[in-house]
Amino acid sequence: MSKKINLTLKVWRQKNCQSQGGFETYQAADIDTDMSFLEMLDVVNERLTREDKDPIAFDHDCREGICGMCGAVVNGQAHGPMKETTLCQLHMRHFKDGQTLVIEPFRAKAFAVIKDLSVDRSAFDRIIQAGGFISIKTGQAPDAHAIAVAKDKAEWAMDAAQCIGCGACVAACPNASAMLFVSAKIDHLNTLPQGSAELKARTLNMVKQMDQEGFGNCSNEYECEAACPKTISVKHIAKMNKMHRQSNLR
Amino acid sequence: MSYQTFDIQRSITRKQTVALTGLLLILFVIAHLAGNLFIYGGPETFNGYAEKLEHLGPFLKIAEWGLALLFFVHVERVTVLIVQNIRAKGGLKRYIVDNSKGPRSWATRLMPYSGTYLLLYLIWHLYDFTWSNHEGSRSIINGKSYGLYGVVVNSFKDPLHSWLYVLAMCFLGLHLAHGVQSFIQTFAFNDTHVTRGLKKFSRLFAVAMVIGYSSIPLYVLYVLKV
Amino acid sequence: MLDSKIPQGPLKDKWTNFKFNAKLVNPANKRKYKILVVGTGLAGGSAAASLSELGYQVESFCFQDSPRRAHSIAAQGGINAAKNYPNDGDSVKRLFYDTIKGGDFRSREANVYRLAEVSNCIIDQCVAQGVPFAREYSGYLDNRSFGGAQVSRTFYARGQTGQQLLLGAYQAMMKEVSKGSIKLHPRTEMLDLVVIDGVARGIVVRNLLTGQIEPYVGDAVVLATGGYGNVFYLSTNAKGSNVTASWRAHKKGAFFANPCYTQIHPTCIPVHGDYQSKLTLMSESLRNDGRVWVPKNPGDKRPPQQIPEGERDYFLERKYPAFGNLVPRDIASRNAKEQCDAGRGVGPTGQAVYLDFADAIKRTGPELIKERYGNLIDMYQKIVDENPYKTPMMIYPAVHYAMGGLWVDYTLMSNLPGLFVIGEANFSDHGANRLGASALMQGLGDGYFVLPYTIGDYLAKNKPAQAKFKDHAEFKKSEVDIKNNINKLLSIKGKRTVDDFHRQLGKLLWDKCGMARNEAGLKEALKQIPQIREEFWKNVNVLGSGQELNQALERAGRVGDFLEFADLLVTDALHRAESCGGHFREEYQTPEGEALRRDDVFSYVAAWQFNGVGQNPTLHKEELKFEEVHLAQRSYK
Repeated sequence: MSKKINLTLKVWRQKNCQSQGGFETYQAADIDTDMSFLEMLDVVNERLTREDKDPIAFDHDCREGICGMCGAVVNGQAHGPMKETTLCQLHMRHFKDGQTLVIEPFRAKAFAVIKDLSVDRSAFDRIIQAGGFISIKTGQAPDAHAIAVAKDKAEWAMDAAQCIGCGACVAACPNASAMLFVSAKIDHLNTLPQGSAELKARTLNMVKQMDQEGFGNCSNEYECEAACPKTISVKHIAKMNKMHRQSNLR
Repeated sequence: MSYQTFDIQRSITRKQTVALTGLLLILFVIAHLAGNLFIYGGPETFNGYAEKLEHLGPFLKIAEWGLALLFFVHVERVTVLIVQNIRAKGGLKRYIVDNSKGPRSWATRLMPYSGTYLLLYLIWHLYDFTWSNHEGSRSIINGKSYGLYGVVVNSFKDPLHSWLYVLAMCFLGLHLAHGVQSFIQTFAFNDTHVTRGLKKFSRLFAVAMVIGYSSIPLYVLYVLKV
Repeated sequence: MLDSKIPQGPLKDKWTNFKFNAKLVNPANKRKYKILVVGTGLAGGSAAASLSELGYQVESFCFQDSPRRAHSIAAQGGINAAKNYPNDGDSVKRLFYDTIKGGDFRSREANVYRLAEVSNCIIDQCVAQGVPFAREYSGYLDNRSFGGAQVSRTFYARGQTGQQLLLGAYQAMMKEVSKGSIKLHPRTEMLDLVVIDGVARGIVVRNLLTGQIEPYVGDAVVLATGGYGNVFYLSTNAKGSNVTASWRAHKKGAFFANPCYTQIHPTCIPVHGDYQSKLTLMSESLRNDGRVWVPKNPGDKRPPQQIPEGERDYFLERKYPAFGNLVPRDIASRNAKEQCDAGRGVGPTGQAVYLDFADAIKRTGPELIKERYGNLIDMYQKIVDENPYKTPMMIYPAVHYAMGGLWVDYTLMSNLPGLFVIGEANFSDHGANRLGASALMQGLGDGYFVLPYTIGDYLAKNKPAQAKFKDHAEFKKSEVDIKNNINKLLSIKGKRTVDDFHRQLGKLLWDKCGMARNEAGLKEALKQIPQIREEFWKNVNVLGSGQELNQALERAGRVGDFLEFADLLVTDALHRAESCGGHFREEYQTPEGEALRRDDVFSYVAAWQFNGVGQNPTLHKEELKFEEVHLAQRSYK
């Protein structure tokens, strides 16, 4: 059953990437526990607007946990306290009446803050551009049944392919490493027979781009896996490590 | 697509260098423990083992320099990695609430610190035992020189000396508890099953090393009668 | 009468004939042409990638922070193709026929046939790109069945088919970006189409980060900007989905066709409260195993488990024994509404029906159900806080898809030469109702396999002309208009928020122009919409400036356009005095309450010409000729 709760929000406000940011405190009164986190922010923003105060900027789009656009760190946890959940799918019933929530943007050198909670994740696009694709042109494809793909391989690839590119792995990693994101894409494509022809170039180039974007090094702490709303496994990181080693030596 | 192989500046290559040197150092740690355990055989056995090592001559020198190189590469690569990581997260301060959803343990958090303590301890340890005068005043027990055995026993009869050693071994344990499973993940010998069993193995191995090594000073301090 | 430029010849040869007769651009000349593609969903992404592969210069625009976020990503269930891998009697002709019938005979035969023809190539292409479709133990592709069809022709990737297909298209785009042949403009919103002497020559956009207004000139403009479902405020669309690009093109002369064909999806999570910002769809594939029911007695408030079998009404199975729970979306939605209107609705609001997996779980075990729908069930559990393995799901229809859109001819070009419209943004393939798993097919079909041919034919007949129009006064004029519009929004400083107006408009449209419509209600809506619009322009409060990231300003611009577009939507619904597909006029129904089409009067596409805000638009008709199929009342009984 839904009920109403009152919360105190400490929200990171930053006008743009050049300016210094800081925390502002807002009261979020009468919040329905059936609301999603972003609906709660909507309500706060509506109230701010009525008081002629600049609403909090935050990225969001589909609000059903698949586009990967939303995300913030709530009380030190990327996408908030629930596992397997994006911020838009986090509901207020998981918070207590009277609780204080500290809301910060995903922080990493490679993710510059654009405004308030909105960050620049274009580094991910550039990593994909470095090799996160299969170089087949429209019209060149053989019949879909020309190559059988073992079910376990297809499932494994799908496990990796579920990544929504939200960046929570980077936000949660103590080193701001992007290994989980990069390994998910590399492993998705390298596992399928269709993608194996470009395995070496893909692996080496994407890792190189990841490094150039200024992400940190993986130190196997597995915080990324815990924060990932799609539960992408660190097995994919191990697999990428292996493919990288083999590509390097052969 | 063109590509470049074997670029040692790649993060994964760097990690794998750390992991590989780490593995070799682990092998050294096991061998060293095995040697140390000769102490339970008494002065002849222990000194006999030490002499045999010294009779290896040039091979021992190669091994020593090799070991030094391993340590150097391990530490240098890790230092670069830590500096990069601090830069990547935008400085030491990040989120004002320190909270995690994941399995991050004290062993992992303390990796750089346990490593630093071990390095400092190692230098002292070399100075203390390896480079010390094995026939000098420190080797004399009840008026008779017992060589390296005597040095070790005399040192460990000092509680401060012993407990500093044990503390160092606890840090070694912490370092290994993360290090062993981290090595396996980074080298991806188990690319399909990163299991709880692996972490358990890593911890068990660390505990075994801690017990093995620490038993010696504690034995000398509390059990051995001279 | 509009000329749809359908090629000559028998239906099955039309596309082949078109391709043979199309003029070609010499490979060396292709790079001299620049194509502006707005939108990066399945249609826009696949088109941008394919056109770039052919050698054209492509510039791609999207308002999201990355092309991978377009709302195609949220499509769950699957994509249709006439592969007939299950050997159950499918064929191009059957897919064509199902789609025409599903669309309630209000779509263009030639387009639909072409769509069915290219459907198989889409699957081939996507598999080759690495889309991890579901497979059987043999290693070959699995198929499932979907609403409106009696064959299993739907390919799927768990419950995330749209995501996987979009990532395929996105990756193909990124491949081209890395070669430098696509220029990417994320966080950029198209705010105007520039038309010079009746020909589309470019667009003017706003950089959402800096507020910069920038002109782009091109030899062709491709709009792949999706549907207008968010005019209802609550819909399954993404929060950012909007009509702005289409509407501003319409204001520059492009005809808007069939806006009243809006699809209400039957399986969505019911509304909770006033704060609700969007509705969440549960894939209709759930109807494969879920049984829809309500209590037989109105006002029965017992928990569902306590209602005995005899007191339940499985109304879809009862009324439509042949298709059962798998009737097309419009029919399933209308029946749910009918039950709730009769007081048999369930849940706290009474605006929901049950979707029950108990029988399926009994039959197959919970593991298989989890494998098939695990992520959907998890999503439901997160939102509603109930466990569908134990308690039946509650569902209610919600606005989902826009069959209407900018009018295009057979080549997907609008009435303005140089302006192409693909995917959901155009009107062409789904008639008055879209079948499940057909949107993905159309988006990718248009982008990968249709537009690359038809746009070539257009470009071959026109010389590259960017240099000539680069500094044309129309671009400057457009920039000034946009800036004035933005300044006006920022200067009102009224009392109400943008969302407040949007909610008011949405509620009005849902009540008067939603699942069922009647003349009186529509006329009432036509009276009220201008009032809301007028107040909006006097009393909206948009803070901040135009020179920064200003999300309220972005929304204000979009809501401003919805407020104008709503007039057209209702006007079209009022003019179409018949019921067909998603457009149900209460005055026109059979004695059993089914949609009553009036083929003698309304067998045409209504394409509207803009005459000014608040002015009556001019109606242009494109007659629908059916040579292959026989017009009949749809029956799923």
